[in-house]
Amino acid sequence: MEFVIGSIPEEKIDEENENEDEVAELKEELDTIQIKETPIENSLPPGLAKIDFSEYPETYKDNDNKEKLILAYAENFRRQYIHLFRDRKPLLLNPLNECGIEKFVCTTIRPTLLPYKELYHWQGCAEFVSDYITMEQLKLPAELPKYLYSPSTIIKKQSGNCFDISNILCSLLLGAGYDAYIVSGYATKEICLSDETREICPLLKKQSVEVKEEVKSKPRKYAVKPPRDLRSKFIIKMEARKKREEKEEEEKLRKEEEERIAELEKPPPDLLYGMRIHSWVLVRGGKREVPEDFFIDPFTGRPYSPASSSFLGIESVWNNVNYWSNMQDCSNGCKDMSFDLSDTTQWEFMLTGADRLQMDIPDVEEELYDLDDEDQDNEDEKHLDMPASWTLPIDITKKQYETRCPMGKKTILYKKAKLEKYANYLMKDGLVTRLSAYDNNELTELRCVSEWYENREDKLKTRVHEGGIVTEDFVEGRPRSLKQHLYKATFPGPEAERTMLFYDNARVDGLNRRVETPTEMTEHFVNRDDFLFFRHVIFGKRQKKVAPATAEGPPRPILKITEKFHRNPAKTANDDVSEQVFVLSEDKVQITYHRENDNVTASTRDFFKPPNAEEKGGNLQWTSDMSITFQVNPRDANPKNLSVYENLVELVQTEQKSIQAVRSSEEEVREILMDRQKEELASELSISVYDTERNEKAKKHRKELERLALEEKLRRQEMEMDYLAPFLAQIGNPDKINKNQAFKLKEDCLADLKQRLIDKANLIQRRFEQETSELHKKQQEYQQKQVAMTKEDEEQYFNYCSEAMFRIHILELRLNRHKQMAPHKYMQLEQKLRQDPRLSLYF
Amino acid sequence: MSRLYDTVEPSVIDDEMLKKAVEDQGPKEEAGKIAKQEGLDYSDVLSLRLDFRNVLKIDNLWQFVKLTKLQLDNNIIEKIEGLDALVNLRWLDLSFNNIEIIEGLENLTKLEDLTLFNNRISRLENMDALPLLHVLSVGNNKIDQLENLIYLRRFEDLRTMNLTGNPVCDDPAYKLFTVAYLSHLVYLDFRLIDEETRNKAHSLYENKLGELMHNEKQAKVEQDNQRKIETEKQKHVDAYVENLDDDFLFVALYKEDPEGKKLEMLPGIQDMLKEFKDKFLDVCHKIFEYGIQEYDKRTHELEEFYGCVEDAKNDNKAAGTKYIDEFELYKKKLFMDLLSSSDPTFIEDKVTEYHSKVNKLWDVIMGLEMQLVDQLEETIKDFERNLTDLMSLFVESVQGLITQLRDLENSHNEKLLETCMLVLEKVVKNELDEELPEDLRMLFVDKDTIVNAIGASHDVHLVKIDNREDEIVTRSGGWISALMKKIHTTECSRNRTRVVEILNYIDHIRDEIDTLDMPEAIRT
Repeated sequence: MEFVIGSIPEEKIDEENENEDEVAELKEELDTIQIKETPIENSLPPGLAKIDFSEYPETYKDNDNKEKLILAYAENFRRQYIHLFRDRKPLLLNPLNECGIEKFVCTTIRPTLLPYKELYHWQGCAEFVSDYITMEQLKLPAELPKYLYSPSTIIKKQSGNCFDISNILCSLLLGAGYDAYIVSGYATKEICLSDETREICPLLKKQSVEVKEEVKSKPRKYAVKPPRDLRSKFIIKMEARKKREEKEEEEKLRKEEEERIAELEKPPPDLLYGMRIHSWVLVRGGKREVPEDFFIDPFTGRPYSPASSSFLGIESVWNNVNYWSNMQDCSNGCKDMSFDLSDTTQWEFMLTGADRLQMDIPDVEEELYDLDDEDQDNEDEKHLDMPASWTLPIDITKKQYETRCPMGKKTILYKKAKLEKYANYLMKDGLVTRLSAYDNNELTELRCVSEWYENREDKLKTRVHEGGIVTEDFVEGRPRSLKQHLYKATFPGPEAERTMLFYDNARVDGLNRRVETPTEMTEHFVNRDDFLFFRHVIFGKRQKKVAPATAEGPPRPILKITEKFHRNPAKTANDDVSEQVFVLSEDKVQITYHRENDNVTASTRDFFKPPNAEEKGGNLQWTSDMSITFQVNPRDANPKNLSVYENLVELVQTEQKSIQAVRSSEEEVREILMDRQKEELASELSISVYDTERNEKAKKHRKELERLALEEKLRRQEMEMDYLAPFLAQIGNPDKINKNQAFKLKEDCLADLKQRLIDKANLIQRRFEQETSELHKKQQEYQQKQVAMTKEDEEQYFNYCSEAMFRIHILELRLNRHKQMAPHKYMQLEQKLRQDPRLSLYF
Repeated sequence: MSRLYDTVEPSVIDDEMLKKAVEDQGPKEEAGKIAKQEGLDYSDVLSLRLDFRNVLKIDNLWQFVKLTKLQLDNNIIEKIEGLDALVNLRWLDLSFNNIEIIEGLENLTKLEDLTLFNNRISRLENMDALPLLHVLSVGNNKIDQLENLIYLRRFEDLRTMNLTGNPVCDDPAYKLFTVAYLSHLVYLDFRLIDEETRNKAHSLYENKLGELMHNEKQAKVEQDNQRKIETEKQKHVDAYVENLDDDFLFVALYKEDPEGKKLEMLPGIQDMLKEFKDKFLDVCHKIFEYGIQEYDKRTHELEEFYGCVEDAKNDNKAAGTKYIDEFELYKKKLFMDLLSSSDPTFIEDKVTEYHSKVNKLWDVIMGLEMQLVDQLEETIKDFERNLTDLMSLFVESVQGLITQLRDLENSHNEKLLETCMLVLEKVVKNELDEELPEDLRMLFVDKDTIVNAIGASHDVHLVKIDNREDEIVTRSGGWISALMKKIHTTECSRNRTRVVEILNYIDHIRDEIDTLDMPEAIRT
C-alpha cells in the first residue's frame, strides 16, 4: 500500500509519481480553505434557524491555526484516499458545524464525565443518551450528513441524527474511561430507523431459570439395592421408542410452524440494503474491565456483538485522538472484522504521532530541551497532535438528567409490545414504565400490561394485569408487610378469589401466604413458636337476612378448620398433634398425631363434642362414646378417660381460638383492601429528605436560612458607621462632590481625627499628672506626720501608695499605647478616605 | 419457729393420707367424677401438697414419678429423704421444718425451685446435682459462714435467693460479698439488686474475685484435659492397642522375671538391653499406630453402614406413608359418601370395594416391609463380611508385628546366653575383673544353672508377649460378634414392631367400616 499520511504539506513528498502535483494541489487547497468560509447568512444550518450565533463562543465561528493545519491534513488524507479508492464512498472528515465552519470530526468529541453515578457505566450512558435525545433520520439515507453539531447544541436541542448521538455517547464513554470510538458505516433499515417492532422487548424476555444441578451423592458402600424390576425390558424399550417418535414428530411440527411464522414476519426487502449510512459506537475491550469489543447503537442504547447481522459495514472509526479508515473487506458484515487499530494492514490511521501521545504525557523539561534543539523540533513537528476540542463542555443539570426523555415521556414500539417510559415524579401516581404486551402485531389485542412505579408512599413496585388477574408487588415496609397481592380485576372486594403474599419475617404471626376463594381460605405460616404452619378454612353460605343492605353483614359461618403443625421435638410423637380438624358443622374434632420415627401409621383420636360445648365454660358432660382413639402401638395402654376429657376441654378452647384467628384474618383482609383503596385514591409519592428540589419542607427551611443570612448581612452593613456623614452634612449633603469639596472633606475629616487623638492623649496625660501630683502630696504629708501617725493610718497610707502607683503605671501604659496607635489610626482613615467611592474620583 | 415434739402427734405419710390429698387436690367437677370412676394413679399426679400435717418422715412417695411440684412445708421433717424416685420434680417446698442438713437431693436433677425457709440448716452443701436451680430460699436458718456462699457459684441459672434471718446476714460485708460472688443473681432477699450495689460490690471484690475466677477457669481446663485424655485412652482400648505407645509392655516383661533383673547387673548387658528395648519399643509403636489407623477405618465403616441403613429405612417409611395417606383420603371420602347415601346396592358395592382396597393396602405395605427386610439382610451380610475381613487383616498384621517382637526377644536371648557363657568361663577361670553381686554370682555356679536361669527369663518374656497377642485376638473377635448380634436383634425387633403395627392398623381400618353407622338393613 502506497499511501502517505501525516506528512506536512509543505514538506516534499518523496514519492516519484504525482509528488509535484500533490504539492501544488495541496497548496491550492490550503488557500481555498480560508476562502471557503461561506457567508453564514446564506446557508443557515438546518434546525438552528432561530438560534442566535452570538451565543456561540469564538471557537465555534473560527478555526485557529492548529485547526486549520489539521483540516489541511484531513484534506490531504481525503484526496489520497479518493485517489487510491476511487470506487469507495467519501469519508466523513470535516463536516460543518452549527455556524457553518468546517471542523475536523475528532475535535468535535468532548470527553466528559458527568456527576451522575449511573453515567459511570456504559449501560447507563447508552440508556440515558438514547432516552434523552430524540432520533432524527438522515436527510438522505445513503449519504453522509453535511453538518455535525457540537454535543452541547444537541443536548440543548434534544434531537439529532445518528452521528450527533454517537458523538455525545462517545464523549460520555471516553469521559468514563472506556476505549470508545465513533463508527461510520452501514446498517440495516431497522437499525437506521430505530425500528424495533421486529425485536422482542428486552423486558419481556424471560430470564432463563438456571437449573441447579442436583448434587448427586456419591454411591455409598452399604446403600441398599433397589427392588428388582420385574417389568419386561422389551416392552419398556418399545414404549421408549414410541415416545421418542412422538416427540420427534412434535418437534418437527413445531419447527415447521416456527419457520412459517419467521417467513411471515420477515421484513420486506430493502432497496437500499447495504447503502444506508449509520453511525454507532464501538467499545473496545481492555479498559474498564470490558472483556471484548462490542457495538452500542445510539438510537436504542442496546449493545450488539460485532458478529450481529444488523451492522453491514464500516468505512471509518475515530475518537478524540485519531482517525482510522477501514481497509478490510465488509462483504461479510462486521463478523470477521479485526478491531486491532494498530494493525496498519487493516486500519489506515491519519495522524502518526497520535498513538505515542496517547501513551505518555510529555515531560515539561523535555519540552524545554526540545525547544533548544532545532532538529528535535522539526522531528516533533512531523507528529502533529490533535487540537483541543472546539466545543463547549457538555453540561446536564440534575433536572434535565431526571427528566431524561424530552418532556419526560418516551414510547418505544417492540414486536407485539409497547413500552412507555416516564420520568420520576412526572406522573402523579409514580408510574415510571408501562409495558403493554399484545397478541398481534397490529397492537390491538391487549394481552398483558405491566406497570412499574417509583417513590410510591404505599410501596407499590409493580402492577401486572394479565388475563383479568391483577398482580401487585410491594417493597418491604408496608404496615401489614404485604409482599404481593393477586386478585381478579372484576372482584376487587373481600371474600373473593385472591392470593396475598407477606414478608413473613416482618410479621409477628409468621404469615407467609394467604389464598382465598369465596368459600375457602388457606394460610401458610413460617417459623412459629407453636409449630403451626398451615390453616385451611371452609366457609358455608351466609344465611339470608332480611336486610342485607349493610356492607358488613354477619360473618360467613365456618364449616371446617384444618390446622397442621410441624413436629415439636420437646414432645413425644404420640402426644404431638400433627393435624387437627374442627368440623364445626358436625361438632366433631379429628386429631392426627405425628408418626413415631419408625412408624408408618399415626395415632388418631376423634371427638364428638356435646352441642354448645363452648358455652359451658370447660365443664362438659362426659360419656365414653364421645371419643374414639386409635393407638399405633397396641401394647400401649389406652389413655385414661380423665386425660381424654381434659384433652377435649382444651380442644374446645383451642377451637374458639382458631375461630378467633380466622375472623381476625378476614378482618385483616378487609382492612388491607380498604387501605389499598384509600392509597390508590390518594396515590401519594414519597420524597427523599435528600431531595432538596422536591422536598418542600427542606426547601422552605433552606430558603428561610438564606433569608436570615441576607438580613444579617444588611444589618451589619447598617451598623458600619459612615465617617463622612457629619462633614457631608456640613456642606449640605450635595449629590455630587467637586474636587475642592472633596479635598476639604478629606482635610476636615483628617483634622477632626487628629484633634480627637490629641484630645484623648491630653486627657490621659492630665489624669496621669493629677495622680502623680496627688501621690506627691501624700508622700510629703506622710513624711511630715510620720512620727505622730498611728499604725492604722500608716497602713492606710501604704495601701493608697501602692494603689496610686498601680494607677499611674496603667495610665502610663495607656498613654504609650495611644501614642503608638495614633499614627496608625490616622493612616488608616486616610487610606479609607482615599478608597471611599465618593472621594476616590479625585485621589 | 419449730414446734415442739411433745405438743403434737407426728403423723406418717400413709396411703390414706395420700389418697385423700390426691383426691382433694385432683380434678374437680366433671373431671373429678370421671377420675373417681376410674380411679387416679399416683403415677399420673403432677403436683402434691402435704402441708400442716405434722409429718415427721418423708416416705411412700416412690409412686409419684411424674410429680413436678411437691409441698411439704409446715411439718416436722428432720431429714430430707425418700425423694429419690421423684426425678421430674421441679418445685420442692420444705419450709418450716426441722431440717438440719441439706442432703438426699442427688436424683432431683430437674429441680428449679428449692425452698428451705425456716429450718435449722447451718451449711449450704450437697446440691451439686441441681444444675438448673433458679430460685433458692434458705432464709431463717443457721448459716453463719460467709465463705459458704461461694458454694453457690456453681449454679449458673440461680437468679433469686433469700438468706434473710441467717446469722451470716449480720456480717456487714454480707450483701456486697453475695452480690460480688454470685454475679448472676437478680433478686437477693426480696429486693432487686440495683446497678449501684453491683458496681460497688465488683470494685470491692475485684481482686479476690479475679483470683477465684482464674482458679475456676484453671480447674475447668484441667477437667477438660482430663476428659480428653480419658476419651483418648478409651479410644486406644477400643483399638486394642492400649499402652503400646509407651514401654508398658517392655516393663511388664521384666516385672515377673527375677532372673532377668539379676542378669542386668552383668557387665555389657546394659548396652545390649538398651538396644533391645529400643527395637522392641519401635515395633510396639508400629503396632499402636497401625491399631489406631485400623480403628478409624472400622469407625468409618460403621458410620457408613448405619447411615445407609437409616436412609433405607427412611425411604421405605416415606413410601409406606404415601400409600397410607392415600388410603386415608379415600377412606374419608368413602365414609362421607356412605353416610349420606341410602342406596343399599351402592353401599354394598362400596363396602366390598373398601375391603378389597384394604387387602391391597395390606399387600403393599407388607410387601414394602418384606422388601426392606431383604434389603437390610443383604446389607448386613455385606457389612459383616467386610468388617470381619477388616478385622482379620488387622489381627494378622498385628500378629506379624508381634512375631517381630518374639524374634527380637529370641535374638536378645541368644546374645545374653553368649555373654553369660563368656562370663561363666571367666568366673570358672577366676579371671573376672569386676565384683558381681552375691545373688548374681550364685547363678554362675555351673553351666546348667545359668542356662536354666536365662531360659526361665526367656520363657517369662515369651508368655507375656503371647498373652498380649491372645488378648487382642479374643477381644476383637468378641467385639465383632457382639456388634453383629446387636445389629441382628435390632433389625429383628424393628421388623416385628412394624409387622405388629401394620396388622394393628389393618384391623383398625377394617373395624372402622364395620362400626360405621349405616342403615342396619344393608349390613350383610
